[in-house]
Amino acid sequence: MARVDRTERLLNVVFCLRGAARPVSRAQIRASVAGYEPEASDAAFERMFERDKDDLRSLGIEIEVGSFDPLFNDEAGYKIKQEKYQFELGDISSTEVSLLSLAAEAWQEASFGDVAQRALVKLRSIGIPSDELSIPASVHKLNDGGQDLSLITKAIAHNQLLAFNYLDSHLGIKMRSVVPIALSTRNGFWYLSGVDQEIQEIRTFRVDRISGAIAASAGPKDFQTPVGFDPSTAFSESSTHDFALIDVRVGKASSLRALAISTQSLGEWDQVKIPILNLDSLCSLVLWHGPDAFVQEPAELRDLVVEHLEALVKNHG
Amino acid sequence: MVKKFSAPLERTARLLDLVPYISSHQGISLAELAKVFNVDQGQMTSDLTTLWMCGLPGYTPLELMDLNFESGFVTIHNAETLSKPRSITFDEGVALVLGLDLLRSAISPERGDLLERIDLLSQRLAGLINLPSALSATSVVNQDVSGAITAALKSRMGLEISYHSLYRDELSTRSIFPIEIVKTDSHLYLSSYCHTASDFRQFRIDRIQTATVQAVQQEIPKSPIQQSSHTCTVKVLTPTREVAERFKQSELHVNTEFNCQTYSTQWIERSIMASGRAVCLQSPPDIRKSIAVMAQTMLDRYKAR
Repeated sequence: MARVDRTERLLNVVFCLRGAARPVSRAQIRASVAGYEPEASDAAFERMFERDKDDLRSLGIEIEVGSFDPLFNDEAGYKIKQEKYQFELGDISSTEVSLLSLAAEAWQEASFGDVAQRALVKLRSIGIPSDELSIPASVHKLNDGGQDLSLITKAIAHNQLLAFNYLDSHLGIKMRSVVPIALSTRNGFWYLSGVDQEIQEIRTFRVDRISGAIAASAGPKDFQTPVGFDPSTAFSESSTHDFALIDVRVGKASSLRALAISTQSLGEWDQVKIPILNLDSLCSLVLWHGPDAFVQEPAELRDLVVEHLEALVKNHG
Repeated sequence: MVKKFSAPLERTARLLDLVPYISSHQGISLAELAKVFNVDQGQMTSDLTTLWMCGLPGYTPLELMDLNFESGFVTIHNAETLSKPRSITFDEGVALVLGLDLLRSAISPERGDLLERIDLLSQRLAGLINLPSALSATSVVNQDVSGAITAALKSRMGLEISYHSLYRDELSTRSIFPIEIVKTDSHLYLSSYCHTASDFRQFRIDRIQTATVQAVQQEIPKSPIQQSSHTCTVKVLTPTREVAERFKQSELHVNTEFNCQTYSTQWIERSIMASGRAVCLQSPPDIRKSIAVMAQTMLDRYKAR
């Protein structure tokens, strides 16, 4: 008999267990599945079979010990449960197949691209044709979050602890230990929110600012996922009570206007009120707009802008 | 890392997924099947041969699986127990749930029927892989804009867009002929011929504020007009994350100098201004000078108060 390679043996095990009407005993598996050498020792067969079970489990195929046959109750039988082997999405319509296909296509050239493609093949294998939906999906794409998204989502599902180096605003690198609770996108970036173990508070990190590899380990046993956390609030203005008043020229400074909670017309200029989340980044945005933006309040922001302007004059004069 | 399986395991998964795909696509050509599974035709033939061998009776208690592919078209019969698609993996479920969430943000609220289906699908998928509802993705593109772009690309029509140029800080109305959607630096751009500028331009889709389909105006020239680019030398005074991200530099130290290439003098001026004391523009001298003048004008205004 020709040598049977690992893929063939694994397939044979699956075919054998899926095709059998009742649980199959070890002895039957050993005798009938091509690939288990008849002349191998019992121990060698055991090792091989255990390894094959692990391999199949990593592919999502669970080999379980089935019920004992009352007549031969000295040996356990094995089976692969239908409900765990098959994609059980229930009744599914053409419209739903289309929605799922569009969802998978959103990953084109991004983190889960290959995985989404594989999911798409499974969906198409259901054999239900998709509807032509008038959703312009090609214009909505998910951004690449690197290779870490899979690790992060698994950690969220299992309350694992993630340790990673994070770049602070001065390019300093600090080690963070976080139990992640949410993953979200905003303005084309991926954000991870979680309970920072050092301060026991929720913090949000931009995934592309994580430096190097993320290490995942078992999380704290008593971890309780904070209830009612909404990732979108991590970016909202409600968390601050400090506001800046900035004059912006009419028709200019759209990026500052986009942040305003109110705008007052002053003729050639408009005055916008902007919540201060981070003084340095607001200062930078004001400077970006050059003579089209002028800070009225607070003095702290004015002073910072003036300080930078003085340096710019000195460095470029 | 998105987990990569070893080659034999990868192949096992592919062979198992082949059975349901062929079952629901009887008579599919070998070439097309190879394309769907992203392998070459030689590999697909070898996959099918292995599958055929494993399906032979005697090897397993399974009935004879009847697989035919000699004609170049593939059919399968008697594979009932394996003909349903396999359950989705955790990563596959996550990809679909996030993709659905993005889709939800891209669908007009008037389509309540679709939104409801998305929610139900998402819950069902999350249930299958035991995923807590902690993932969210939102589209940065306005629904009306994406609708108009898709329609224009499909029917080879032009578009009238209002576009916010970040560097000029101006909202302009342009008449464009869209060519294709391209992805650069994780942003989507609409590569187009701009009739207003009489040249090829790329418009960042999330900065297109309105878009209306219109008839094409005129012929498009074959080759783009050469734009002049500027080379700038920037010196780092204080290494900050903001500077690293703005200028796309990875290694920054005090006194590091780097070059950057740009078509827009406004971009370099604004980038230097926004970086404040953290950087200094070394060259070109005319942009250096205009930064000094601009900063002085602004400073005078603050001091006058």
